Amino acid sequence: MPTTEALSETVVRDDLIRALTSVFATSLGLSVVHQDPKAPGRFAAPSPAAVPAITQVVGSVGFFGELNGVIYLCFEEVFARLCTGNMLGLDAAELLATGEEPVNDAIGEITNMVVGAFKNGLCDAGFPCKLTIPTVLRGSNVSIGPISSVRRHTFGFESAGHLIVADILMKAGDLPS
Amino acid sequence: MRHKILTVDDSKTVRLIIRKTFKPFDCEILEAGNGVEGLSVAAKTQPDLILLDVTMPVMDGVEMLTRLKADPKLRNIPVMMLTAEGGRDNVLSIAKIGIRGYIVKPFKEDAMIEKVSRIVDLKPVSDGPGKVRTILDPIDLLVVEDKPAILQQFEQGLKHTPWKIHGVASQGEAIDHCSRSTPDLIVISLSLSGDSAFALFRILRANLKTKFTPIFALVVKTETDAQAQAQKIGFTAIVTKPIDMADLESKVAKAMNLDTSKHYFRSDGEFLIVDLPQNCSNPVLAEAAQYLAPKLAEAVDAGHSLAVIDLSPVRSLHLGIIKFIVQATQSCRELTIHLAIVGNAPLIAEFKSFEETRSWNFHESMEEAKASLKQGTHSAADAPHAVEA
Repeated sequence: MPTTEALSETVVRDDLIRALTSVFATSLGLSVVHQDPKAPGRFAAPSPAAVPAITQVVGSVGFFGELNGVIYLCFEEVFARLCTGNMLGLDAAELLATGEEPVNDAIGEITNMVVGAFKNGLCDAGFPCKLTIPTVLRGSNVSIGPISSVRRHTFGFESAGHLIVADILMKAGDLPS
Repeated sequence: MRHKILTVDDSKTVRLIIRKTFKPFDCEILEAGNGVEGLSVAAKTQPDLILLDVTMPVMDGVEMLTRLKADPKLRNIPVMMLTAEGGRDNVLSIAKIGIRGYIVKPFKEDAMIEKVSRIVDLKPVSDGPGKVRTILDPIDLLVVEDKPAILQQFEQGLKHTPWKIHGVASQGEAIDHCSRSTPDLIVISLSLSGDSAFALFRILRANLKTKFTPIFALVVKTETDAQAQAQKIGFTAIVTKPIDMADLESKVAKAMNLDTSKHYFRSDGEFLIVDLPQNCSNPVLAEAAQYLAPKLAEAVDAGHSLAVIDLSPVRSLHLGIIKFIVQATQSCRELTIHLAIVGNAPLIAEFKSFEETRSWNFHESMEEAKASLKQGTHSAADAPHAVEA
């Protein structure tokens, strides 16, 4: 079995970019561009006073096995609706009529596919693991607060003029420090 | 028989995408949200294929698959995994239990159809009894012909129809067109360079989207060898050049099973009008005659009791026309429908020249026939009823 030294931050990032790009292109017909982490983004340290509360839809799926962790994908609500519409072939008016449930379900499935593709890369690299079922949460100014024993990687992506934030939390013991 | 495909996935989104993917095909999509529901639906419905997710609440896909294979009544149902759970080890361990395929999400609809069609004989959805397409409905016709003059003939010759003619000049353009939208019918000119007409036919037949699309061969009348080859390879029909547009329309209608009754039957207020065309050949009369009884019955159902056969465009009389009128008269009499006949002067004269049809009553205009029927002055005794064909 390969050692976890093989899993550098670059490998994790590249695997996530590959997963996100593949899912967005195949299922949503959208391109995704990785953003420079130093560039200011809408989700980067927002000032509650300056930025009106944006409803966010956050999908999360965990993976467990030789590696353990969870990935959160954070979408602006308006972009979550756009993705749902693209995925199901529905226009904005049809989506509005259906309420939140299809959007939640679609974001759950998108996250499931992204984490699945990411995890499959890890499996093929010698770290077999399995997925958990997806969960979706909604709210404004959502933030992820990892505990100290967890390593965190945060990546920003741009698609169709919207920001997507991917938060990867992995059990620290599984990865090289 | 309609195929049944069971999708077992906890995501409604995926189930909806599966339903949408197979909408163009004649199959029933059944749904279950987890393995327990999946086993229950499978036992009740005996689907022809199960598309199975792995990670689900209550009972996951691996457990469902294991139980399915342990049940003698369900073990032969083909299962295809459709899951985000890829990775060599996962795939191999699930494959050992017994599956017919493995699709890793995300997937393209075409890839899904292609894989499923290896297991289930997918056929395009046919219109139900209430949705029969008629000769007056829009139809997308793709004509593959490298001679612009012939394409122009199609456009000119069919401009009276609501059919949309798409002309392309090569095999590549035809394939490109079909990948964007599937035509209702394709005409391929056998004069395309080399073997490309037959090669195109084979490509289209190998593609699930065009597998069942009628494909006509367009060939010069004297090129009998090419016609024989086209028939042998399986072209739906042969259209010869110079093109007889009426014949082409008739072949299109037959190949697509179009309802052509609107060519001959229409309602005009309280009247059922039967229009016979200028070229009233026996095949035309046979086509019109097949709709006679149901159209008259429809008229009675709608509360109408007056009908007019309009022969005014007909050029010359022959026995087939006389037979048609006798058949119509008998059917009208059975249904208590009053019938009048409109003819042009030369045609009426021809009728009058025969002993058997001399006593038949004709009107020289539609208005006169309608007025006669409304006033009740048209006597059933005037109508033909005793012709021995």
